[in-house]
Amino acid sequence: MKKKNKIHKNVKKFLIVPVIMSAAICLISAAIAFPLLSDAAALSNLLLSDKQVDYSKSFENIFVPTTNDEDTVDASDVEFPSVDKQFGELKIKNRNVNTKLFFGDGSIPLQNGVGVYAGSFIPGYGKTILVAGHNNTFFNGLKNVKNGDIISIATSYGNYKYKIRDTKILNADSKKAYDLNKKEENLILYTCYPFDTLGLTEKRFFVYADKISGPKIVGLYE
Amino acid sequence: MKRIMAIALAIIVACFSSVAVFAAGINSSEASVLSNMRTPANMKGNSVYVPSSYINQAESYFNTIEMTSAQSSKINSIINQGRSFLQNTGKSSISELSDAERKTLLNYASAAAAVLNLSAAAGSDGKNIKIVSKTGGTVINNSSNVIKPTGAEEHFTVYVMILAIAAVFFVCSAGIILTRKKSYSYEEKE
Repeated sequence: MKKKNKIHKNVKKFLIVPVIMSAAICLISAAIAFPLLSDAAALSNLLLSDKQVDYSKSFENIFVPTTNDEDTVDASDVEFPSVDKQFGELKIKNRNVNTKLFFGDGSIPLQNGVGVYAGSFIPGYGKTILVAGHNNTFFNGLKNVKNGDIISIATSYGNYKYKIRDTKILNADSKKAYDLNKKEENLILYTCYPFDTLGLTEKRFFVYADKISGPKIVGLYE
Repeated sequence: MKRIMAIALAIIVACFSSVAVFAAGINSSEASVLSNMRTPANMKGNSVYVPSSYINQAESYFNTIEMTSAQSSKINSIINQGRSFLQNTGKSSISELSDAERKTLLNYASAAAAVLNLSAAAGSDGKNIKIVSKTGGTVINNSSNVIKPTGAEEHFTVYVMILAIAAVFFVCSAGIILTRKKSYSYEEKE
């Protein structure tokens, strides 16, 4: 009987208590470390931004930098990207956002950069451009943006600048967050909110910007 | 013979050195399909439209191809059949459609996609319709939510979870070993 009690006590002492304690330690250390890891990742992005971009072979890249500063570009000179192709770069100066820009917002684009929703349009098209990115990697720097900041998008057919007009925190299913029928060019960036949360969230952080420069694609319709 | 060889070589060189021409913009065939997609179906007095995200995805795809008038005629004919089918169901909205009716609607989408050598498939919930290229599996259209999950990258979250589980497992194992050792030593003492 005594022996059984001692074993029972030992199970408590060496199994249940350590499990509870270690689980608690894991949770606390994850909560503490996650913001630090995010900052480290963001910092590494910043440090790497000055280096030559290393294009992965896991996706097709059609982006070739251009110095085109015309007001218009003919549609026949534009290679329209298909889904999962990198077709540009997106930067926000001094805000730690400097990433590859893809068409489509599936796993390939979001693992390697940020992606334009295929149900919206590319820069210069004169309509809505909706761009998604992960909050712990390429769009972590959105937490630093302010109204008036300039978003630069470089593509093979022209270089674009957009001025941030507003930021909003909305539910992911909010229909007020975007208008895909808008007839004027507007850029919307979004990521999960809060920024340093582990896993998926219901809220999104939206950044709204208006076009200030860059060639308009002409000759789109016959 | 040499002359024939030279001509053949010149043709081959001309073919391979031609300047890349992009399938740019929306031609009249593509425009007619987009216009037809924008035409609502009248379901018991309710005008039911194809969501603008679908039409935009189609437009983006059409910018990358050159649709012929024969292809657009076929696609428009299938769209018209699909619209007539919806109007004749006697339902007032898409959400009221039965599974069989949804399947029929998907068959119309598949038939239209097949004209462009694409295939359409619905997700397990029967709602998320994906149109992909038959050759490379490239996604052309995806009817999933417009706003995507953009939380901590899945891989990163999985790594953290694996690490946490491994830590708990390690502590458990250590606890069990220690408990056994202790119990053995008690048995030996007694």
